[in-house]
Amino acid sequence: MRAVVFDGVVLGLQFGLLGVGLTLVYGLGGVLNLAQGQLAVLGAIVAALRLNEGSAVVPAVLTGLVVAGTVALVLDLTLMRPVYRRHGEDRVLLGLLLMLGVAFIIDGVLTWRYPIEALTLRIGGDPVDILGVRMRTGSLLASAIALGVGAVLVVFLRYAATGKAVRSVIQDEEGAQLCGVSPATVRAFVFALSGVLAALVAVTRSMTSPVTVNAGIDFTILALIVAVVGGLGSVSGAFLAGILLGVVNTVSAHYIGTYVTTIVLLGAAAVTIVLRPSGLLGAGRE
Amino acid sequence: MGRAGAPAVRAYAPVVLTAAVVALLPLRYGDSRPMMGVVISGVLFACYAVGFNVIFGSTGQLFLCTGALAGLGGYGSAILSDRHGLPMVLAMLLASLIAAAAGGLLSWIAVSRSLGVIFTGIVTLAFALAFQNLLLGQRDLTGGETGLVVEAGSDTLLGEQVAPFYVFVALLTAYLALFRALQRSHVGWAFRALRDDEIAAELAGVDVKWYRVLAGTLGSGMIGLAGALYAHSEGFISPSTFSFGEVDVLVIVMLAFGGIGSLLGPVVGAAAFTVLEEWMESFDEYRLIIYGSVILVLFLLLPRGVVPTVQALVERLRRRSGRPSVPVAPSPVDTLNPG
Repeated sequence: MRAVVFDGVVLGLQFGLLGVGLTLVYGLGGVLNLAQGQLAVLGAIVAALRLNEGSAVVPAVLTGLVVAGTVALVLDLTLMRPVYRRHGEDRVLLGLLLMLGVAFIIDGVLTWRYPIEALTLRIGGDPVDILGVRMRTGSLLASAIALGVGAVLVVFLRYAATGKAVRSVIQDEEGAQLCGVSPATVRAFVFALSGVLAALVAVTRSMTSPVTVNAGIDFTILALIVAVVGGLGSVSGAFLAGILLGVVNTVSAHYIGTYVTTIVLLGAAAVTIVLRPSGLLGAGRE
Repeated sequence: MGRAGAPAVRAYAPVVLTAAVVALLPLRYGDSRPMMGVVISGVLFACYAVGFNVIFGSTGQLFLCTGALAGLGGYGSAILSDRHGLPMVLAMLLASLIAAAAGGLLSWIAVSRSLGVIFTGIVTLAFALAFQNLLLGQRDLTGGETGLVVEAGSDTLLGEQVAPFYVFVALLTAYLALFRALQRSHVGWAFRALRDDEIAAELAGVDVKWYRVLAGTLGSGMIGLAGALYAHSEGFISPSTFSFGEVDVLVIVMLAFGGIGSLLGPVVGAAAFTVLEEWMESFDEYRLIIYGSVILVLFLLLPRGVVPTVQALVERLRRRSGRPSVPVAPSPVDTLNPG
């Protein structure tokens, strides 16, 4: 039982990291980034290509993160401009449709140029005993990275000046502007950050199982569910939701069977939303 | 307010006109089985989009389970008729009722917990993905990934090459007429009121909750019936026939392109994207890239959708030429209809 829960937490931390980027971008600009998964895969494929060229792991991964972040930044500076000029439901819908178009394009380019490429990172080393459970090094490293990034994000948002600026825009865009915070700059920064985070998820994921070219849509759907269950705009909510869903996932896979698991997972997500309509740690109704 | 005052002939003219134009398509494509398949799927998606328009366009509930609702209709009707020996028409009606009940239930949950647009979207998406998993898992009943051959209907006119097309056109015409009738009735008045300002509508005595559930039930039943009809006319269904990626994404893009909430938006959108898909067949490997680029360009140029944009344009030209605007309250589509 303990081993199953541990596995669930490992998976959940990945889920959480996946939801964070989406949740921040939505909290800031009201844009549901439907290309989140494709950005993740883009980063992974760039890293894989660098590895093929004989690059070392760390520089290859860094290149992947930078490319995904840059693409996200460019998207924010160009395509998202007309979106931010709109308000309310109009903004949500246009942002969602444009990012859907971007998702198709990235998917199309990747499957056209690199149809069979995949990123797999083999993390060596013997399994480590933690509280009597043998854990693979790959899972541990992936969890450590997810936890570390999550902690840095929470601390950054709470204490750093830029982090406070981000939170101020999430809470009240006009108020933040009056205090001298530029929402446009903050949005561009967070959009780029979400690209980097997305690629990072793909990288940590590849430590336990390969990330293929067509994994984008699954990443996006999972990110959406995690972000909404956690409460859009809340970083710790995303991680909480991720861990909750991760544990539900592995426990039900272990005791009930894999085919029912997805249904249990989706059911858990739906029930959470219905019980807490603004998400686990959501501030208010959207 | 509203178009109840507009003469009935004028109000329904766009419906009749659309049906007449669509009905001419077999003249061009009637002798090609694959092309008839494409045209039928275009009309099918127009039907889905009208149903989705009732739910999302009229009352703002983002249902991300169009495919699943159609699948309830399709698989439901196939199983009821082939396994349990029900007559096809009865099976189709029962399956549509099941879809309507499912949609009504989802709507009721969303409304009574006052879920926002995105949250309704995620709950219904979870339902759609779970349904997809059920289809894959319940092999004995659904055939799993390999799909299900639908026997009932193959010996009727649904098994022919051109006849099923006209059945679909009849269905689409009925849906459009229903949509127009809703717009002209007190229900449409309530829909507009709650779309414009939910709280004001509530204060004015509109039972917002009831109208939302009504839209969710009715629209889902329409989607379910279209899915059931497709199952019998196509003779084969598989989970991907009703998957989120194959149905919902396309329906949303079509409706958003045509114009959300407008009568003819679903038809314009379905026509445009059916032509686009067909045209892209020849590009094969760049397909997704072109598709994505077209979506970007279209929505950057026409963020409100084709039908509302054209209406605004026609309205402006009328004003400039000094002719009085439409006598009663301008109906979205009346302005499309010249004269």
